[in-house]
Amino acid sequence: MKALALCAEAVAAAPGRNEKIARVAAYLETLEDEDLARAVLYLSGRAFPASDRRKLSVGHATLREALVRVTGWDLEMIATCYREVGDTGETVALLVRRHTAGREMSLAQAEALYEQLEQSRRTAQKVELLAEAFRSFDWLQLKYFVKGITGNLRIGLQEKMVEEALAAATGLSAEAVRGANNRSGDLARVARAARGGALASIEAVLFHPLEFMLAKPLDRVGDLADPAEWWVEDKYDGIRAQAHIDAGRVRLFTRGLEETTAAFPEVILELAPLPGPLVLDGEILAWREGRALAFSVLQQRIARKQVSSKTMTAVPVIFLAYDLLLWRGELQFAMPVEERRRRLEGLGLRYLAPQMRLASHSEIEERFLAARGRGNEGLILKRAGSAYESGKRGGNWLKVKRPYGTLDVVVTAAEQGHGRRASVLSDVTFAVRSDDRFLNVGKAYSGLTDEEIRQLTVLFKATTVERYGRVSLLRPEVVLEVAFDGVQRSPRHKSGYALRFPRIVRWRQDKRPEECDTVERVRELYEASLE
Amino acid sequence: MEIEFRPEGIYIPAIDLWLDPRTPVGHAWLSHAHSDHARGLHATVIATRITAGIYRHRWPLPEGRAQQVLLIDPGQTLEFHGARLTALRAAHILGAAQLLIEYGGERTVYTGDIKLAEPICGWATEIVPCDRLIVESTFALPIYDFLTAAEAQRRIVQFAGESMAAGLVPVFLGYGLGRGQEIVHTLTAAGLPCAVHGAIAGLIPYYEAEGIPFPGWQPYERRKEETRPLVITPGRQDSLAVPAARTRVALVSGWAAVDSARARSGADVLIPYSDHAGFPELLAIVEQSEARRIDIVHGYAEAFARLLRQRGWEAAAAGTAAGEVQV
Repeated sequence: MKALALCAEAVAAAPGRNEKIARVAAYLETLEDEDLARAVLYLSGRAFPASDRRKLSVGHATLREALVRVTGWDLEMIATCYREVGDTGETVALLVRRHTAGREMSLAQAEALYEQLEQSRRTAQKVELLAEAFRSFDWLQLKYFVKGITGNLRIGLQEKMVEEALAAATGLSAEAVRGANNRSGDLARVARAARGGALASIEAVLFHPLEFMLAKPLDRVGDLADPAEWWVEDKYDGIRAQAHIDAGRVRLFTRGLEETTAAFPEVILELAPLPGPLVLDGEILAWREGRALAFSVLQQRIARKQVSSKTMTAVPVIFLAYDLLLWRGELQFAMPVEERRRRLEGLGLRYLAPQMRLASHSEIEERFLAARGRGNEGLILKRAGSAYESGKRGGNWLKVKRPYGTLDVVVTAAEQGHGRRASVLSDVTFAVRSDDRFLNVGKAYSGLTDEEIRQLTVLFKATTVERYGRVSLLRPEVVLEVAFDGVQRSPRHKSGYALRFPRIVRWRQDKRPEECDTVERVRELYEASLE
Repeated sequence: MEIEFRPEGIYIPAIDLWLDPRTPVGHAWLSHAHSDHARGLHATVIATRITAGIYRHRWPLPEGRAQQVLLIDPGQTLEFHGARLTALRAAHILGAAQLLIEYGGERTVYTGDIKLAEPICGWATEIVPCDRLIVESTFALPIYDFLTAAEAQRRIVQFAGESMAAGLVPVFLGYGLGRGQEIVHTLTAAGLPCAVHGAIAGLIPYYEAEGIPFPGWQPYERRKEETRPLVITPGRQDSLAVPAARTRVALVSGWAAVDSARARSGADVLIPYSDHAGFPELLAIVEQSEARRIDIVHGYAEAFARLLRQRGWEAAAAGTAAGEVQV
């Protein structure tokens, strides 16, 4: 862990994406196979591979209890320190500095310790194991060991970058490494195979989410060179989801690759009889009388661990399929869209999104208005003959939304509201991404329900890094979708742009901050508005 | 002896003396020359010679205004309104001092801003026994444990060398009085002449007057694309003529002890070194003072007071709204 910790510290201090990847690659090259497999996992902020069913079940309370044991500080002092630091692994490291023997922890020891923690059934046992580790090992190594437990290194290193570094360190293409990790959800296995030159042997693993193909926004219909080369479907305003089906078992995953099976039992029943192994791409929608209900209706079903039959009757949901990822156990990524569609239609699904071939530019306008008339968000265009580009926003899928559409932004500061909202943090400053920084682009005051504001206030308070009077600066974690009426230049915001009349459309709990829109996207919208 | 902790500063009615008042008063002790401690035109100022000099530079006396300035250097004593005042060395910035107040058989020490470890520039802290201690708590949480001066200097020089070797301009962020000069002194003494931002450069003569060398430093010129190391105040990175992609930025500060300082300051590299005491030093200052009663000002006063009470001291957060602390 010593070399890994030093590498991680250097990555945190390295200025750009390429420098960070180069540092990781240089470190990975020095490792023998088993350590390489461990290191790529830990650098991705994971104790176990993504597709591994094992869970550590070590929460903040357990970690704090172990800290109390080792340092003698009480919970109040530890909570105060955590508020200042904002990261559990770093807090542990800073607090145990003067209480540890400072021994070196090998990557194999880290792996053994993660396994022991996973196997301990009782919390007291986990506390005991952690306390022993805190007393023994070097603080900087503990910092990254604990970040592996909490699941985020916070050094500006995404898993995609670790994949690229692994590719560079093994002389393979980033594409091949990424593909293998996407299929298997096991970067450790991918690392071993990469060293052995056997990446192609890694097959898709069912019940582990695959990356979704994403659509690029089409701002002006006229930009589309040849309309006849595209298929068109409605763009639905629901929850994008992936259904994994085999032998009567079904699991659902969201765009954020989180499992959401338990929230939609009627969908599971509907899909379970389908012939597996099968993976469908589609949309979860609140549905009545042949059409989708507004997203705000569906929202009542989100993030439920258990659903009452009353809720199921009040808000019936369906899974509307529109693409095919795995069929009869075979990955369909390389199949052209027409062939995927043919196989999808052959499944005899009850809910399948209608697809048509486009003919002209004016038809886009007509279909867009018709889709809006059906209560849908707009259109999705799929290029004829194109493959399913998992994890990419490559331009073979285009989305047509309302003019100016919306942007996904991340909240960087929150402020107490006024009047009825004086006790909650209701006014938010939000930002878009530029590499691994977030640059402010506007401020919004309305659009969320009181309940959402209440929940967000709790979250904002927990992620506050600094306070100036009524304003709290936040760790960028919460993603919101905002609608707006235009983009203008702004010297006041760090991004150089400001959104006009922004309002919050919804809280995107399915998105991570690194998935929010970029400054480049804002610039494109601004430049498009000048023409 | 009664001590009042008021929003505008600490006041001792028995001898009509203010400690680091924020607004103009009659008689003021200035512990050091940072502008949140030494500010405003008081009728009488008591300070060390160095502190009084820098204070005058920052708060010139308008024509026709008179001010009494009483100088006491460390070890010297002043009889004042029936009390005996003694200045004691404080490691913080150049000229910083604690004040020992002996009155009615009671010994009270006001530390001002202080640390226990040796500073890069300035003198070491001298601790004397007292009954009551008024101490700061800027970094009074156990997460704050700073580099020694020697280690900080090693990292400053190393960072500059590595950045230049990579063809990049090293930029150091340090506050205008104290840290800034410590960085410039460290670089120039190591044979790395640097360009220095105005706010920092203007106070270098006070350091030179105390025999601290700065061989080969140059004032920073805004329009010039520098290749030498730059020493500037935080938040000034955006105004540099050098494009950001050609610089590497180091923050030298107590706040650099936590990684989130990177996002807040825009620095790439963090060098956790402060002119305030880290947590272990603060505890040592309290212990060595032998005081029974501890009053705690600026910073994590509540948390520190609670901890001291748990350990048997009579301790309270004084709660003066002394504003932001310069670091």
